[in-house]
Amino acid sequence: MKKLQRFAYPAFLLVMAILPNLLDSRWQAVAITFLIFSVVALSQDIILGKSGMFNMGQALFFGLGAYTTAILNAKFGWPMLATVPLAILIPALFGILLAGPIVHLRGDYLLVTTIGFNIVFVQAVQNDLGGVTGGPNGIFGLDPMNIFGIQLANQLAVYYFAFAVLLATLWIMRNLEKSKAGRALHYLRLDQLAAESIGINTRVFKIFAFGLGAGIAGLAGTVYATQYAAVSPEAFDFIQSVLFFSIVIVGGSSIPGVFLGVFIMFVLPEIFREFATWRFFIFGFAMIAAMILRPRGIWPATFGKIPKFLIKESNHGA
Amino acid sequence: MDIFLQQLANGLTIGSMFALVALGYTMVYGVMRLINFAHGDMVAASAFVGLTIYTQVMGQATSLVAVIAIFLLSAVAMAIVGVILERVAYRPLREAPRLSAVVSALGASLVIQNGIMLIWGPRMRIFPELVPQVYWDFGGVVISLIQLIILGLSLILMVALYLFVEKTRMGAAIRASSIDQDAARLMGINVDSVIALIFIIGSSLGAVGGLFIGLYYRGITFNMGWQYGLYAFVAAIMGGIGNIPGAMLGGMLLGLFNAFIAGYVSSTWADAFTFILLIVILIVRPTGILGERVAEKV
Repeated sequence: MKKLQRFAYPAFLLVMAILPNLLDSRWQAVAITFLIFSVVALSQDIILGKSGMFNMGQALFFGLGAYTTAILNAKFGWPMLATVPLAILIPALFGILLAGPIVHLRGDYLLVTTIGFNIVFVQAVQNDLGGVTGGPNGIFGLDPMNIFGIQLANQLAVYYFAFAVLLATLWIMRNLEKSKAGRALHYLRLDQLAAESIGINTRVFKIFAFGLGAGIAGLAGTVYATQYAAVSPEAFDFIQSVLFFSIVIVGGSSIPGVFLGVFIMFVLPEIFREFATWRFFIFGFAMIAAMILRPRGIWPATFGKIPKFLIKESNHGA
Repeated sequence: MDIFLQQLANGLTIGSMFALVALGYTMVYGVMRLINFAHGDMVAASAFVGLTIYTQVMGQATSLVAVIAIFLLSAVAMAIVGVILERVAYRPLREAPRLSAVVSALGASLVIQNGIMLIWGPRMRIFPELVPQVYWDFGGVVISLIQLIILGLSLILMVALYLFVEKTRMGAAIRASSIDQDAARLMGINVDSVIALIFIIGSSLGAVGGLFIGLYYRGITFNMGWQYGLYAFVAAIMGGIGNIPGAMLGGMLLGLFNAFIAGYVSSTWADAFTFILLIVILIVRPTGILGERVAEKV
């Protein structure tokens, strides 16, 4: 595992940095999708994988970010770059406000409530709440992103923008793992009661995790809006949340696992386009098989630097 | 007042369908602590199976015997699918982390939903008119024969299920397994057969619910399981998941709520209001209306 971190990550990032120059525009678009959905899946991992809260509404925060950017740009004429802070803050604020009353709910009840938030959001957007969301068609014709004079007009530039966001997310996740908050989340995922008894304010850290995950997903939403120059309700449907949820669990809540999951769910279907109608049928079987063969995920996460002989195998947590 | 009575009748009809489907969720959850996400898609599959039995096996007959046969055959077919589903997707994961079983259930849901699409096609199909179109007009409130049949048959099935679970030895085994599987096993109860039994009961009730959905709404699509399944699932949670009377109460409440929203507000907001109601109920009563408050075991 240590070797992997030292060599495989830099190698992977190097490949990702060179990659778009070798691709034509269709595959560049696929690569950008991969980057965006990786960021969303990583943000879901903070809530679901790292903190153990059954969140099945991550598309809500992703959508909130995308819609914040789209509405500010199309209806209020803000430049795209200026929308970024709000596209992070508004979803983060929603994450905190929505999580506040529900984080004490037991696993499955939390899951249903987050599904509920997602569905309420999509329906509100479809019904053109406040007259700014564009209804079922969404909003299109957004301006290209302009970062201090550099116009992100072509795919390559958008790719590097998305890549930068992914790098920032990876950096946040790395720091999170080494910080007090990360350790607190780890303990509370393993055993909430024990965490509380050693003085961790579980409620605060749970809400923190929701806020952080929501903010990152919101930023991914801005990238999405930049890439497509449009947003529409079905892109943030509850089904999308189900996919992000499955990616994290099937991947094993580790960073390579999440990349693998996003690759399988969003890139493979582009390669095997002739099997498009079979896509979810096959995915369904793959999900069942993956869970039966590797109940902890394909690439289970490890936490910190705990020597192997100190870890007792158990069925708890995860 | 007319709108009120009309929506009351509609709400009770929809509610009894939700309740039938919700029972499948709640029974499985009661024993296995697992949300069977595939249940909604089994309900959808039942409508398509019923359609095929009607056209292929029954030669499009709509006699009483033929209709009863369609219901029975669909229920048996879905019971078999339910048992297979449990064996393949859920049994190997009983000791695994909770979320692995949830993902397996989501996978099973995708398999069934897209299996329907591959077999019957992605377009909407029209469910046959198995019951004659008879309406009664009570001073502006119109009630159809289909509504009466749905309501009546659902009530009969629910009472029968309640008596079965409360009064028979097999029912006692189900109750015991849902309280404590290990203790039940020590008392000589075969928990594996209990689980197979609840999948048989839940799936066949869901199958009847699916045929009702076909009869009532006429148009059936391969992905309708998500929609109706989610509603039924919400009903089960509202009532307190794992609790059989709770699912019946939750289903009826949700049906009425939906009908009144559609009648007085707007049907385009029905989903949002439904989930807002659910969230409010869960904030006030975190384990549903009839759910027991279980102390966390340490």
